[in-house]
Amino acid sequence: MAKKIKGPQLVIANRLDDGRVVFLKECGEWSVNAADAAVAEAPEALDKLEALGKEASSSNFVVDPQLVPAETGDAISPAHMKQAMQAKGPSVRPDLGYQVSHDWEGQN
Amino acid sequence: MYAYDDFDRNIVNARVAEFRDQVDRRLKGELTEEEFRPLRLMNGLYLQLHAYMLRVAIPYGTLSADQMRRLALIARKYDKGYGHFTTRQNIQYNWPKLVETPDILEELADVEMHAHQTSGNCIRNVTTDQFAGATKDEIDDPRPYAELIRQWSTFHPEFSFLPRKFKIAITGADTDRAAVKWHDIGLIMRRNDAGEVGFEVIVGGGMGRTPVIGKTIREFLPVKDLLSYLEAILRVYNEQGRRDNKYKARIKILVDALGADEYARLTEEEWAKIKDRPIDVPDEEVARIRAFFTPPPLPVLSDDVAEVDAFAKENFIFATWLQNNTNPHKVPGYVNVTISLKPHGGIPGDATDAQMDLVAELADKYSQSEIRVSHEQNLILPHVAKENLVALWKTLDADGLGASNVGLLTDMIVCPGLDYCALANARSIPIGQAITERFDDIRRLQDIGPLKVKISGCINSCGHHHAGHIGILGVDRRGEENYQILLGGSGAEDATKAQLLGPGFDEHGIVDAVEKVVAVYLGERTDGEEFLETYRRLGPTPFKEAIYDAD
Repeated sequence: MAKKIKGPQLVIANRLDDGRVVFLKECGEWSVNAADAAVAEAPEALDKLEALGKEASSSNFVVDPQLVPAETGDAISPAHMKQAMQAKGPSVRPDLGYQVSHDWEGQN
Repeated sequence: MYAYDDFDRNIVNARVAEFRDQVDRRLKGELTEEEFRPLRLMNGLYLQLHAYMLRVAIPYGTLSADQMRRLALIARKYDKGYGHFTTRQNIQYNWPKLVETPDILEELADVEMHAHQTSGNCIRNVTTDQFAGATKDEIDDPRPYAELIRQWSTFHPEFSFLPRKFKIAITGADTDRAAVKWHDIGLIMRRNDAGEVGFEVIVGGGMGRTPVIGKTIREFLPVKDLLSYLEAILRVYNEQGRRDNKYKARIKILVDALGADEYARLTEEEWAKIKDRPIDVPDEEVARIRAFFTPPPLPVLSDDVAEVDAFAKENFIFATWLQNNTNPHKVPGYVNVTISLKPHGGIPGDATDAQMDLVAELADKYSQSEIRVSHEQNLILPHVAKENLVALWKTLDADGLGASNVGLLTDMIVCPGLDYCALANARSIPIGQAITERFDDIRRLQDIGPLKVKISGCINSCGHHHAGHIGILGVDRRGEENYQILLGGSGAEDATKAQLLGPGFDEHGIVDAVEKVVAVYLGERTDGEEFLETYRRLGPTPFKEAIYDAD
């Protein structure tokens, strides 16, 4: 997976128990805030992220971790519209999702 | 309404207990996601963009007031205070937690509901005419047969792992409100020369990336033979349908490859082998099921209600609601009321928990505690006495449910699109909302007349764009949302595949394109001619010119 996409990437997944979107941090923990995501571009660094994602998947913390293209401008965020939507919440319900706040459900 | 017997209750309760155990094992790591995924899908639980999504079955779109109250409670207690009614007459919750799903299923089982057959390659929840059993224009109520199909297909061992999902729709009326010709199997009730009731059997319809209108393989099937004949159709498909390519796995591809005549021959051949086996149920069982659908004892009332006429004269919105949102009932003095879930700027098909509770309360008061869901994503109160219409509309209107746009341009089918769906390539809902902004005057909508707009956010066509008088398909064009326009489709008895007009537009351009199409229609229509008729008379050229050449 890591080799197919060019440019900076981050790992996105859904948490197993509640399905909420999470991003892999450098330390191997997961954040609900895309800005906390670890970004890698070099093959070795991407392999490391991918391995951390797989580990969290094997330990049943997340489901379907994926390396996806990242924007690294003012703040780190997923580059493609589908993952950008995941990082925020439904555009038609601005009262729901991480666009409200990153602890909108009272958990982090 | 059908009420569970011990058998129904036991299998639903057993399934809830089984799923609770499966979730527990998944959370403990005893099941991998690969192992668990098909199990959760068999219980209607998907993983979408933001969260899990639970699709709850509403068999043939019929609900009691108590069931609707339970759906409201689930929205409030386990979700974010709303649900989304779908084109399969089901309801989806967008934010359930895996850990709470067994509790939700238990809440559902309590009111004789479940989430079976809302996912996976099985026979899905059977859909039908939302006015079934109540409308003036039907031969007979198709719901006893829909219920029979539900019982036959539930956990049917032979048909639990079909090449692909399988959808059956059934109608008892000549006016097709269930899009039966767009289903894997469509059943239309017919009467033969001897006056007996049976079904015209249509196979191989479907939308998706390969839109196909179903073909009739039997003009008249006696009702008593329904299940064995369905079993023969399914067996041919199960044995010969492609399993090597999921995009070629639906029955429509097989029917197309073999030809409808050959499919009919194979079905008849198979049927000859099995028709005398105990697949079709005895008459007593049909009678037992039919008894649950006995029409309510409605005293005949006058069709002329002075209060309704007087209020319609003074309130234009009510007058249009009366015209658009009511359907003639079998019994004089009654109508079936469609509650539009397409308010101005709203999300088509969404209802809040409070709205669901209100609809339940109104059903208790005005519609024999019965509610229906239409494939066009609206709710129906059947059997409403005309003398109650003013009071009913006033209550609905006060709670944002009084929109009078049923059948008009803003009564759109819209899939969840990229706002929620993991498969989508573009957003659908904002396009629908922008169209309601552009066409925000009920007088203008009324003047335009019947016009069905259907919007899908990807080629899977959940928004039925192939069957739209105006269809819109969202695609991903080099990372940008882009919207193609199609014209001339129909999901009704004159089922037609919509034609793509040309290159797509951005989210603003597509709304302009819809407006230009409508302008051509208004300029070209003859007296009383509806949009689809004008399009069929003129063909695509003038519409294409208006959209693409004006600049």
